[in-house]
Amino acid sequence: MSQKRSYRPLDSTRDLKRTITRYYTLTRFHRYWGRPLGRPLAWVTSGAPVELLRAFKIHPVYPEQYGAICSTGKVTAELCQAAEALGYSQDLCTYATSSIGSLTRTDIAPMKGLPRPDLLVACNNICGTVLKWYEALARHFRVPLLVLDTPYLPGEITPQAREYVVEQFKDMTSSLEKITGRRFNEGELRRVMGLSDEVTTLWREIREYCRAKPSPLNGTDLFIHMAPIVVLRGTQQGVDYYRKLKREVGQRVREGKAALENEKIRLVWDNIAIWPKLFGFFKMFTERGACFVTDTYTGGWAMEIRDGDPLESLAATYTEVFLNRSPDFRARQLIQFIRDYSADGFVMHSNRSCKPYSLVQEVIRRKVMRETGVPGLVVEADMADPRAYAEEPIRNRVQAYLEALGA
Amino acid sequence: MGKYFLGVDIGSLTTKVVLLNEAGEIAARATGRSGYGGRDVARRLTAGLLDEKGLAGSDVAVTVATGYGRITYPADREMSEITCQARGIAHLFPGARTVIDIGGQDSKVIRLLPGGKVADFAMNDKCAAGTGRFLEVMAGALEVPLEEIGDLSLQAGNQCDISSFCTVFAESEVISHVSAGAPKADILAGVCNSVAARVASMSSRTGLEPEIVFTGGVARNSGVAASLAKQLGCGLKIPEDPVITAALGAALFARGLA
Ligand code: SF4
Repeated sequence: MSQKRSYRPLDSTRDLKRTITRYYTLTRFHRYWGRPLGRPLAWVTSGAPVELLRAFKIHPVYPEQYGAICSTGKVTAELCQAAEALGYSQDLCTYATSSIGSLTRTDIAPMKGLPRPDLLVACNNICGTVLKWYEALARHFRVPLLVLDTPYLPGEITPQAREYVVEQFKDMTSSLEKITGRRFNEGELRRVMGLSDEVTTLWREIREYCRAKPSPLNGTDLFIHMAPIVVLRGTQQGVDYYRKLKREVGQRVREGKAALENEKIRLVWDNIAIWPKLFGFFKMFTERGACFVTDTYTGGWAMEIRDGDPLESLAATYTEVFLNRSPDFRARQLIQFIRDYSADGFVMHSNRSCKPYSLVQEVIRRKVMRETGVPGLVVEADMADPRAYAEEPIRNRVQAYLEALGA
Repeated sequence: MGKYFLGVDIGSLTTKVVLLNEAGEIAARATGRSGYGGRDVARRLTAGLLDEKGLAGSDVAVTVATGYGRITYPADREMSEITCQARGIAHLFPGARTVIDIGGQDSKVIRLLPGGKVADFAMNDKCAAGTGRFLEVMAGALEVPLEEIGDLSLQAGNQCDISSFCTVFAESEVISHVSAGAPKADILAGVCNSVAARVASMSSRTGLEPEIVFTGGVARNSGVAASLAKQLGCGLKIPEDPVITAALGAALFARGLA
């Protein structure tokens, strides 16, 4: 295979670094500004209703993203071992175990661990693991834990489900009033939701540029440039960053510039990235001209925030998260991606950590293959734990798959 | 200018080489243990074949390598053994739509399109269950030569139950059957059944469509073949030399590249 680089980096990567560095610098030095400004720090799950927290001037921090940082920093295995030594099972989600391990192994944890939280907010729209994980954190830090329970949606959201979640939002609002000492300000919430909507809309539009042939972005770009959408939803910095990115990607499309020198095959990715092997893994595809034009994971952040009563709108948005929906919904979503993005196939990462994402993949795979006629490949690994990655068997499968696609 | 085409399959346990003549017929073939350096074994086997036929290295126009050692072998092209296996089987059995391949450390089910292209496949994951390696461990535990376990298993009166897929746990199950005084044939029938069950369950991922061809080193094991046919509820075709079919596929690709 050729040694030359078949992959075009984005100029926006510099702005990305600046934006994310700023966010983590603020986070690390929160102890100097948080208390004087009356702005508590919360550890929150990726599917937590951050708009409500921001309306209370809370600074949100994402242990799941931190889990990915640990993984690219190659300390996940050691952090997990620390948690395993405390009695946590090896079979748990490695975001949870590496987070728990980072509490004691501050010597190796990036940034010496995330700063101590003033409160914790968990929403089970992504999985049930987060509840137990956050309970463990609450015991460790002795801080309040707020939980939002979003009922699983076998079909569409029902009025009862929405009502149930709205009621919890109201409870959460009064708890936040007590914790922060601030009054709930609906105007502020609407403002933050407006910014959030702008960010997610920009992200959706950027992703849709990849319908172009050749695609201006590859899966790795999506994975890397999703960082701000996780931590900066509902902020002006988020909007600013994605405006820049959109400009650059739009420019690529207009000039017919591709992410890959030689795009021959277009694929859809399902599940979280394999962070510890991000580039090595995707290289097996790029060197054969296979581009990941879209994916279900970073697509999860292209959610719509509707008009109307803000709490009702948030209730719907956060209950309708794709991981909280039926295999049938997820199959339809994948089929739609394959059609909209003219994909030749799809690759599913069976992620040992993430059961809600992975356990139903085989059912989805068969359904999608039947309905679209395009082949689907499953690779077994873990989003963060390099111990679950077997290079040769994976290379073998990927190669066979791409050979069948004519690469 | 060479007129021969070489397929080299460097597997985890066995290395196979197949030489095709200009007409695409098998001119010679050889197999050997991969051992520590599959690449050198492949070189040695190839040199032996050429010698036997009175040919020189330059008589080989194109070489395609496959199997785990494919990447470091100096070939004109390397291809995955799934693609090569599909090609080899489609050549021998044009009507084949499903291939079940059980090798040393891999077992796989491949679904074929007419013409031998791969439509879908499933493989064992990071585990020796349902592979030749599993049989080897059990043969060792029972002190029966590997080649004999199939036929011996067919003489079972009362098949023992080996419930674990895990090689380590299954070995201790075997030992407990031994100490309970079960005949070797009965235990081996359980062992063969376990390998077949593992692969049969894997085939539900890809679906099964006749004709089904059973290949790979383990296809020589009559016990696994019989159990597999029974569990799948249909007849299986077995190539005359099931060990070399992926190498044959590689050689056919080599001929196609010329
Ligand atoms: S189990 Fe999955 S959804 Fe839950 S925290 Fe882990 S990776 Fe996220």
